Amino acid sequence: MTLAAVIVPFLALCVAARSIAFLPALGIMTAVAMLIDGLTPLQEAGAAFAVILGVGPVLFLNFYQYDEVRERKVIAAPFLLPGVMILLMLMNLYPDGTVFPAGICVVMAGLVTVSVRQTMVWQWAGLLTCAEGVLLSAVMYRQVTAFAVTALIGCCIAILGGACVHRVMPRVHVVRAPVRQERKNKKWQRSQQDDGDALDHAAGAPHPDYVPQRSGASDRGPAS
Amino acid sequence: MTASLFFAALSFVWPFLGAVLVAMTGKAQNRRLSLWAAGIACLLSVVVFLNPGTVASGWDDDPVQRAGRVMLAFGLLMTVLEQKSFQTRLLRSLPYVSVGLADLACITPEPVVGLGLLGLSLVYGVFVIGHAAGKAMVGWRILRSMAVGLFLVLAGLLLPPGKTEAGIMLACGSIVLAGLVPFSMIWAENVDLAFFRPFVGAVILLSLHFRAAGGDAFHTTLIIAGLVSLWFTAVSTRGDDKWYRFYSFPLALAFIAVGARADVAALLFLCGWCLAGGTEMAKYAWAARALACQPPGAPFVGCLLLFSVLSDMSWMLTILTIGGILGVILRVFPKNSGDLSFWPHDSAGRVACVVLVATGFMVPLAMMLGVF
Repeated sequence: MTLAAVIVPFLALCVAARSIAFLPALGIMTAVAMLIDGLTPLQEAGAAFAVILGVGPVLFLNFYQYDEVRERKVIAAPFLLPGVMILLMLMNLYPDGTVFPAGICVVMAGLVTVSVRQTMVWQWAGLLTCAEGVLLSAVMYRQVTAFAVTALIGCCIAILGGACVHRVMPRVHVVRAPVRQERKNKKWQRSQQDDGDALDHAAGAPHPDYVPQRSGASDRGPAS
Repeated sequence: MTASLFFAALSFVWPFLGAVLVAMTGKAQNRRLSLWAAGIACLLSVVVFLNPGTVASGWDDDPVQRAGRVMLAFGLLMTVLEQKSFQTRLLRSLPYVSVGLADLACITPEPVVGLGLLGLSLVYGVFVIGHAAGKAMVGWRILRSMAVGLFLVLAGLLLPPGKTEAGIMLACGSIVLAGLVPFSMIWAENVDLAFFRPFVGAVILLSLHFRAAGGDAFHTTLIIAGLVSLWFTAVSTRGDDKWYRFYSFPLALAFIAVGARADVAALLFLCGWCLAGGTEMAKYAWAARALACQPPGAPFVGCLLLFSVLSDMSWMLTILTIGGILGVILRVFPKNSGDLSFWPHDSAGRVACVVLVATGFMVPLAMMLGVF
């Protein structure tokens, strides 16, 4: 039982209570908890997958507009979660109190996140937390087949969730588009000014060929 | 021996071949071709059931699993018969691929590998369902609830076998994967049965493999969850929009049978699910009657077998189960469904009726002869 294995469930708790932003920290700490016991190929592969599943989705999400406002505040969730974890630990500890079931606790946190939170991104984070937890316990109990299956399912969930995010949420560059348009307008103004057009008009104003003629005609009318 | 082994291997490869064939052809010849492919899959599974070449060559294959694969193949045939035409190539290949993966998941000696194959089937199904326009969130909701079940089962398999927590987690995961009604709301989504019929069948067959890892807690949890689902369906409000609650009725009975160690009864309920369960049930009275355990039919015989096993375990459980089934029949059973005739008018219904009645007669006979 290491300190890293104790910190991992608390980071999973943060994912459930606050937001998906704690997922990279959870992935990296899971990797540390795996690598601290030794450096077998299974542990290295497990650490690699834990980091990929933790960091990848959050990096991907940076390209999309994600608003957390839509989430209804559920205050019970963070309190429910430690209860479930402590219950599990008590259940698990009394036969042979040597191994802290960190992986199972992380899985529980992920399941609570999936069932309590309503927005898609948060549920995605919950499923990825589950995958991290199962990866951790597969590495801790040295089960290669279970590890391979979990890595496969976790990657598929990350990809399918990313595809769903791609289809449901607006991309960030769509928001930047008007800015680019303004820049284009400014460029057009500059090119107009370079051509020798001395008229000081705003962007999007009517064409200078037409406006002065009419106003000039109405102004000149009474004078002549 | 060699021929039977060849047929066994072919029966596993055939659904994938069929998927490729059906996806490659155009719409004109598609229906006939898909009927042929599904028919050959049924024939192959029956041949493998009668001449097991897999036992001698070391595959982990018992008669219940082989009979379950026959049911899955007939479920494929029913799916193809019911759907007049699938729109896209991927949708056309979906039932074949999920049946093929379900077959493979049932035969793997390690339940973890079977679970991984189920996960692949889920991923393919979600991809195909979700890539249609406007279906992204439906796909996501299916993925979410099924992935919860997958992770629960995985966590249960990682715990030391035989412990209480392992059994509870395995049972909860199987129940969420199968979509029993109060525990999972997946049927409210108006889901695509081409994917779910083999998937849920494979979950029931795979839950027989979880016994060694689950222990007594696994069986107890399954029986309790099945009874809760039964009584929830029985006392829930009646209404045409709540049809999905009746979907999981045969599944609840199947899980009670798995929990009571009555494998053959679970097989008969699986037969009912594969042949009569699903969306068409609302339209056809025969399917609802067969699912509601009325004679003749496989679920009726399954009920009798289940009661005989349950009454050995405890009288209380038997009375609760009978009460739940009666409640479901009295309250949720469709009173005004369209086709009230006993012998259905369409070809899909006729095939299903014949297979249901034949299975109901043949399985007890096979039990007496000592096949199971």
